Amino acid sequence: MDTLGKPTDLDTSTEQAARVAALFREHNRALIAFLQCRLNSFSDAQEIAQEAYVRMLTLERPDEVVSQRAYLFRIASNLALDRLRMRKVRNDMPIELPADELHLPPVPERHVTTGEQWRELRKALRELPAKTSQAFVMHVIEGRDFHIVAQVMKLSERMVRYHVTNALAHCRARVDEMEIP
Amino acid sequence: MPGIPDEKTLHTAADWWLRLRDHDGSDETIEQWLTWTRADRSHMEAFERVTELGERLGTIDAFTRRQWIDEFAPPVVARRSWLPLAAAAAAVIALFGGYVAWSTFNASVTTASYTSAVAQNRTINLPDGSTVAMGGASMLTTRFTRGERRVELGAGEAFFQVAHNAKQPFIVTVGNVSIRDIGTAFDIRRSGQRVTIAVTEGRVQIFDGSGTADHDTHGPHMLEAVAGERVSYDPDASAMSISPVTPEQATAWRSDRLEFINEPLEVVIANVNRYSIHPVHIADADLEVLTFTGTIKTDAIDQWLGALPQVFPLRVSRGADQVILSNAERRPSP
Repeated sequence: MDTLGKPTDLDTSTEQAARVAALFREHNRALIAFLQCRLNSFSDAQEIAQEAYVRMLTLERPDEVVSQRAYLFRIASNLALDRLRMRKVRNDMPIELPADELHLPPVPERHVTTGEQWRELRKALRELPAKTSQAFVMHVIEGRDFHIVAQVMKLSERMVRYHVTNALAHCRARVDEMEIP
Repeated sequence: MPGIPDEKTLHTAADWWLRLRDHDGSDETIEQWLTWTRADRSHMEAFERVTELGERLGTIDAFTRRQWIDEFAPPVVARRSWLPLAAAAAAVIALFGGYVAWSTFNASVTTASYTSAVAQNRTINLPDGSTVAMGGASMLTTRFTRGERRVELGAGEAFFQVAHNAKQPFIVTVGNVSIRDIGTAFDIRRSGQRVTIAVTEGRVQIFDGSGTADHDTHGPHMLEAVAGERVSYDPDASAMSISPVTPEQATAWRSDRLEFINEPLEVVIANVNRYSIHPVHIADADLEVLTFTGTIKTDAIDQWLGALPQVFPLRVSRGADQVILSNAERRPSP
């Protein structure tokens, strides 16, 4: 009709839909992993990713976005932060309802029973230097900030991070040995 | 084994996991991470495994959590003043005190016990010249010997103004914590095993575990707190925390106001119950971890309870002789 010759909203949105579809194909796995890391919940990660794509589709001026990928991750990161704040207000707990367990990430390998899992992880922590397991428990299990752990342990934040990284990698390696036949 | 990322890759993945969780991280960090994940197929795999472990660790049950903290990060006193030497000296004094008490047993031991009713504050003048103001529903036992003055706060809150006497130290025991005065006025509040010590004048030494006690198992841990400092001890945390406090805040309860700074609802309610005619119960454990900052007038507890649902996702139900707080997101039981 009278829209002939100039790009319409429809054209722009179709173009953007194609871009978002490409983003999804190429980066969805990374986006989910990124969000799961931030939110500590695979199901929340999926939800937030979904919403981030919707935001990308409904951008007012998609052509002005320099890097679609960077923008997608920025939107997702802001949405994740909102979600964490909401959780804090609601519950202060990482997992709200037992029903969430139904959405645990699909890991192809056999999952050991929960009790066995904690016992094995405890064993793995015992194999580590005392400072390494202490930093790990204080940060990951108790949820204390690095600067607090550093203050208590009288170490630099960099050293605390180093210990937590070592413990995490070690525990993951032990869990792999246990769960992959 | 095929499919398992090697330890080195896992290590790098764990490092990225820590870095990416920092919400102040820049777009650049994310870009660098994306570049790393695309460099080799095993990278993303390793990262996903670490992330999955992170999520699992987030589901740790309270019992296991407690066990791990006890084993790997046992409660210690945080901050500047690790004073092993002074602590050792204090232990010697405690031992000596014990000896004196033993040798003069029956001769000069005086014990007494004091209690206050719900919503009642009372002031006690101790025989040594010290004064104790007790909050509502509180209990105090004193045991004075020639060598030391021992006070145990069994429940509730008390504000101590201690007549200083270096030869007969004044030691307050509260659950796992003991406080030794060094010429002081201080307030102690006990909520179950949680203890808050607010110093309004002078200095105190605070020992965790059984620092000054005779059956000390894992070494005395001590810290000094001075006027204007508030020390909180939580048996479920690995360190005492210190925050500033004014004398007015510390003793607000003496003017019928309960002041809370960022404290768990569980603790707030335990203290409210020392002044509430009808006991308040928290029905859903997940409410206990909500934190509250603010002032509650002890003569207006009902109004405060009425306003709670505006701040927290909870429901207030009033029964004939009690008040129940339950999670507003759960369906009320029929």
